[in-house]
Amino acid sequence: MPRLILMFNKQVIREYPFLKDSITVGRAEDNTVVIDNLAVSSYHARIDRAGTDFILTDLQSTNGTFINENRVVTHKLAHGDNVSIGKHILLFVGEKGKAESEESDQKMSLNKTMMLDTAKQRELLAKQKGAAPVQKPIERIGVISFVDGSGLGDIELNKKLTKIGKSESSEVQLSGLLMGATAATISRRPAGYTITFTGGMTKLKVNGQVVKESIDLKDFDTVEIGAYKFQFYLKDVKRD
Amino acid sequence: MEIKTSGITDVGLKRDHNEDSYFIDDPLHLYVVADGMGGHLAGEVASQIAVEMISKSYRTWVENQTPVEELFAAPDKSLSAKGNYILSSIRLANRVIYEMALEYKQYHGMGTTVVGLHLSPDLVIAANVGDSRIYLIRNDRIEKLSRDHTIVSEQIEMGMMSEEEAATSPLRHILTRNLGSAEETDPDVFELVPAHRDRFILCSDGLTDLVADEELLKMGREADDPERLCRQLMDLVLKRGAHDNTTIIAVFVGGMKKAKKGPLARIGLTLADLAVGLQRLIKK
Repeated sequence: MPRLILMFNKQVIREYPFLKDSITVGRAEDNTVVIDNLAVSSYHARIDRAGTDFILTDLQSTNGTFINENRVVTHKLAHGDNVSIGKHILLFVGEKGKAESEESDQKMSLNKTMMLDTAKQRELLAKQKGAAPVQKPIERIGVISFVDGSGLGDIELNKKLTKIGKSESSEVQLSGLLMGATAATISRRPAGYTITFTGGMTKLKVNGQVVKESIDLKDFDTVEIGAYKFQFYLKDVKRD
Repeated sequence: MEIKTSGITDVGLKRDHNEDSYFIDDPLHLYVVADGMGGHLAGEVASQIAVEMISKSYRTWVENQTPVEELFAAPDKSLSAKGNYILSSIRLANRVIYEMALEYKQYHGMGTTVVGLHLSPDLVIAANVGDSRIYLIRNDRIEKLSRDHTIVSEQIEMGMMSEEEAATSPLRHILTRNLGSAEETDPDVFELVPAHRDRFILCSDGLTDLVADEELLKMGREADDPERLCRQLMDLVLKRGAHDNTTIIAVFVGGMKKAKKGPLARIGLTLADLAVGLQRLIKK
């Protein structure tokens, strides 16, 4: 049975099967699909069954109805079409089966993953947002600064994975009777740096709290491993 | 360390053929997913090349313990030796796909994303180019170990777009990096240490377009085994319209419990505290 799947921010909110011959969409409560969002007009759009076809019509809404990148007034829906209304998406699921026309493949082209080179990227972005220059965010590198009198000083975390412990293969070599071969590791992840307790008899503490598994490191966190104490901070990397 | 893995792929309900490829090498503990793009069958070719080149070159370098200076690309000093093997294997795959795309008219414009994961008892390596993803589920949290190489993702990083806007932006599938479009590519590689009960999910965007991170976390945590998780996720994708090829690899880690804390261990901890105290006293 054909249906519409209402989604917001990639989460499915509800499914609406075509039990009648038309479905209306809008903010008013007498619509089939009620979207309570200011970007949506009271009576925003409707989808009518005409034989085996499903026709979408925009009801002169303020912000428009979009199929993929294109604003539409009326449109014959194809299986898999994304109907954008405000910030919501209605995914149209038709009957299972092939029946792919050339036309709908082309319309779908923005739904397929594409690669754009830099010039085309800038063009598209300028079209969309009003041309802000593409600037990479400033890169920052983690540094640990020992404050316990051990003489280890400042150590830049140059590796994606920094091992801390007694072992000679550790990037940060610490000594001590109860220090594990690898007592802890600091790993640089997409979201930032994380410290993980890996083992040994010495405790790992961050800002005074014992850490038994992992914790994200923030600027100026204080870390203790056994008798050692260091502060973690982020340093801007000079751009060439 | 015990590792259980499972992989699944589906053409979906909309596409004519499946341009995703995947690879599970259990002895090497190497897992790769690639999502191809390009006219006609070119996408399939690109993703197949990626998966084969990466697995073959990685295996060769690991078996020969090749020094990092002798790999395909200049070594990245922030990575371990194995991290560099993976980095170089991706760069090599990129060059092959790029050259083929130039050489043969029917492959012109072909490309692919790639995500790769390697596990060993003391090292996890996660690498990606494009918008296929690697997730880690650990301690009831889900974390992405890949970075989306898309226009909208860069816009979010620069504070020019919100996540909400990105989710519905018509630009959301447009990549800033892939394999095949340029002579050089810049993979993101991350390294960390595995832990008991870690669960990894590698996937193409066919999955993440339709299933939210919170759902992945819940289903990933609750699944009994990787086969069941792959099946459940794919069923959900199909139920939601499966507008794209979808590929999923699930990897479950076990057998890495830290030493049990019996009553003796508790005494051990107290001794540790004493020792720390002693060390501090001696230093003074």
